[in-house]
Amino acid sequence: MFDVALTDAGAKVVLATASDEKHPPEHMIDGSEETFWSSTGLFPQEFVISFSGLMNINAVNLKTYQIHKMSIERSVQAEPIDFEILEEKEFTVTDMALQVEDFTFDEATAATHLRFVVKSGYDHFISVHQVSVDGTAARQ
Amino acid sequence: MPKTLRAKVITVGDSAVGKSAITQVFHSDGAHFPKSYSMTVGVELCVKSVNIPDTNDCVELYIYDSAGKELYSDYVHKFWEHPSVVMVVFDVTNETSFKSCQKWLERVKNKTNQELPGVLVGNKIDLVGRRVISPKIAREFAMKNSLEYCECSAKEMENVEAAFYFVANAFYRLYEEKVEVMNTLV
Ligand SMILES: Nc1nc2c(ncn2[C@@H]2O[C@H](COP(=O)(O)OP(=O)(O)O)[C@@H](O)[C@H]2O)c(=O)[nH]1
Ligand SMILES: [Mg+2]
Repeated sequence: MFDVALTDAGAKVVLATASDEKHPPEHMIDGSEETFWSSTGLFPQEFVISFSGLMNINAVNLKTYQIHKMSIERSVQAEPIDFEILEEKEFTVTDMALQVEDFTFDEATAATHLRFVVKSGYDHFISVHQVSVDGTAARQ
Repeated sequence: MPKTLRAKVITVGDSAVGKSAITQVFHSDGAHFPKSYSMTVGVELCVKSVNIPDTNDCVELYIYDSAGKELYSDYVHKFWEHPSVVMVVFDVTNETSFKSCQKWLERVKNKTNQELPGVLVGNKIDLVGRRVISPKIAREFAMKNSLEYCECSAKEMENVEAAFYFVANAFYRLYEEKVEVMNTLV
């Protein structure tokens, strides 16, 4: 098992609906919890992470702040299209501490891209400090 | 690259206080005061960007101008979900419209658990002789409710921007504060 969402593993954030240059989307997959991507107002917000190729995914772990409802969608295409929803979840609110939330899948789920949709927040702004995706490269 | 924040502005107040006129004068940079009276039916959305002084950043205001008529209230209230800031408007020549401000403010506040920066706007100051609400009374009410107070005349296109600049800047400061917290979480 391996974090296939790391920049070092060839993953990229190919879309994010908000960008403050001090807190860019790359901060979600740089391996550091200290750095983060922040939303800059209004919901929904979303971001898409593309892997270096097709992956079999067992779990997604998120370290975030002030997210209320989030859904995860996957695409198995080469391009980030034809997304289908995997799971939607309500996060537990925290005070001055990171939210730690897992999405686990019963069977390994194939994906080349994951789309994360933040439907609502506990505050006007949310932050995503780390997205880890536990998976392995799929044989094609 | 400069950053762009986005804020949902809910404008409320009794019918005919000038909500639509204020929104349209602001949106058209003072080029347009609606001459013929057309009542807002339900909700209208207007988008305009405000630059934040001493930065390259801006706040895009998504202004929801809603009709004050109870008739539309179920429909209108749906657009009030997740407000970022609120603008409560009254007519300085109309005491009832001032008394209603508390009720309007509560209604919007009920839509959120979050901090809600806001401004109280006294409109129609061009009608000098007919004024019944003094700046002092309005300011006291505003202070009690943690609102900023601005007055303007949409008709004379006087000082209409002030209220929008205020909410944009307040929202910007809120973002800076929240990011400061995010920075201390790990
Ligand atoms: N004298 C004066 N009349 C105004 C002013 N602003 C709006 N009005 C008039 O007040 C009426 C109601 O304005 P409107 O913008 O439709 O109010 P709303 O129902 O709150 O959206 C219209 O006849 C406007 O022309 C103002 O600053 N001064
Ligand atoms: Mg109107």
